[in-house]
Amino acid sequence: MNKSDWQLLAIIIIIIISLFAITSLFNYNNSTIATVYYDNNIVLTLDLSIDENREYRVKGYNGDVVIETKKDMIRVKEEISPLHICSRQGWVKSTYEVIVCLPNKVVITLSDNKNKLDTVVR
Amino acid sequence: MKKTRQQYLTRGLILIFIGIIMLIIFYYQRSTEHQTNMFYLDTYISVKIYTHDKKKATEALQEVDRIYQQYHQLADSYQAYDNINNIYYFNEVALVNEKVKIEPELYHLIQYGLDAYKQTNGLVNIALGNVIDIWHTYRDNADGIPTKEELQKAGSTNINNLILHKNYLMEKTTDIKLDLGSITKGYATQVVGDYLTNLGIDKYLINAGGNVKVGNHYQKNRYKIGLKEPKPNSNNIFKVINANNISVVTSGSYERFYQYDGKIYHHIIDPLTLFPPNYFYAVTVITPNNALADVLSTALFLMDLESGQAFIKSFNNVDVIWYDINNKIHYSAGIKNYE
Repeated sequence: MNKSDWQLLAIIIIIIISLFAITSLFNYNNSTIATVYYDNNIVLTLDLSIDENREYRVKGYNGDVVIETKKDMIRVKEEISPLHICSRQGWVKSTYEVIVCLPNKVVITLSDNKNKLDTVVR
Repeated sequence: MKKTRQQYLTRGLILIFIGIIMLIIFYYQRSTEHQTNMFYLDTYISVKIYTHDKKKATEALQEVDRIYQQYHQLADSYQAYDNINNIYYFNEVALVNEKVKIEPELYHLIQYGLDAYKQTNGLVNIALGNVIDIWHTYRDNADGIPTKEELQKAGSTNINNLILHKNYLMEKTTDIKLDLGSITKGYATQVVGDYLTNLGIDKYLINAGGNVKVGNHYQKNRYKIGLKEPKPNSNNIFKVINANNISVVTSGSYERFYQYDGKIYHHIIDPLTLFPPNYFYAVTVITPNNALADVLSTALFLMDLESGQAFIKSFNNVDVIWYDINNKIHYSAGIKNYE
């Protein structure tokens, strides 16, 4: 190994380290991501730090489910079901909470990278 | 001169090649996540597995869905399904002394229920259906509580009135009704965990509405499992369990309950008093086997703290967190291993 070999090695190491840095940077941005499932299929993915103050309609088993967003928060505004459990649940901002509209087969989960837990026992 | 430049170039290419290999290895170690969600056993079940084999992952998650669906149908006491004799059939259709042919899976599940009865000195009783039905009616109307006489007259809750014969036949000798709610979630979750492990998928995370089971971690770490404060409308995490290859199961009184006369009546009924006890908001059991964790969390929920602490001494590798109704939290000695 002579001088230019070492230079080349250094360049490669720098490239690898910066790739690591870039990927971990992507993993640690602080946005809250809401994922909306209908019958186990993802129908909507929202970044709640960008998609704020908006309304979305997704298909539910009994008809449309209306979802409203605010900064880092989400709720089900309207849905058709006997007890309205998921619209009564109101605004959800914690990643420990799940919105489950059982009659409509719609589930909304929140995730962010500040939350270091893998799962929660409730 | 020309020769050395070529040498540099070759060496350089080799180094770049090594670098690329290192990157590939690094990314390959980060197994990709595959997830499925489903509604069975009156709860929302989420299963995550970590593998690079996409085809295997898809097949595995389909089978996981099938397993949970099968146990859901077998244990269902509200409706019948085509071509299977389930708990609804046994409770509502089958005659006294009729020998009912059941699936091997249901047979083994009931066998597990009988073992659980012995293991917990009768605190986990799958023959409590008659009493549970009455509580359900009161809870649905959210008005009043049944009297002790009403509960005692509800019908037999004697587990000895249930007989398992050879060749997957079962029989009731009185009007007993089975309710497998206290064992099925844990049992099915354990079956799913075993299935994934046998398939070679050892990295997984299952959360079946309060029953959590994890395998190896998807990176070189431990899973962080949060325990939610057992209060309505609370999102605080009061404890984090760090572990791999473990089950964490909570029995709690704060999600399915109703209030009457200032008192809370929840869904876990003491087979001896026929009423829900009032020692704890939640009891969490930490042990590798999910079916055992489910059974023990129910049993411990029905005992006072001292009895529970004495009871778990006969088990290896079982740890417990009791959250009592005075908001005091009690830990078994081994909990420090999960911090």
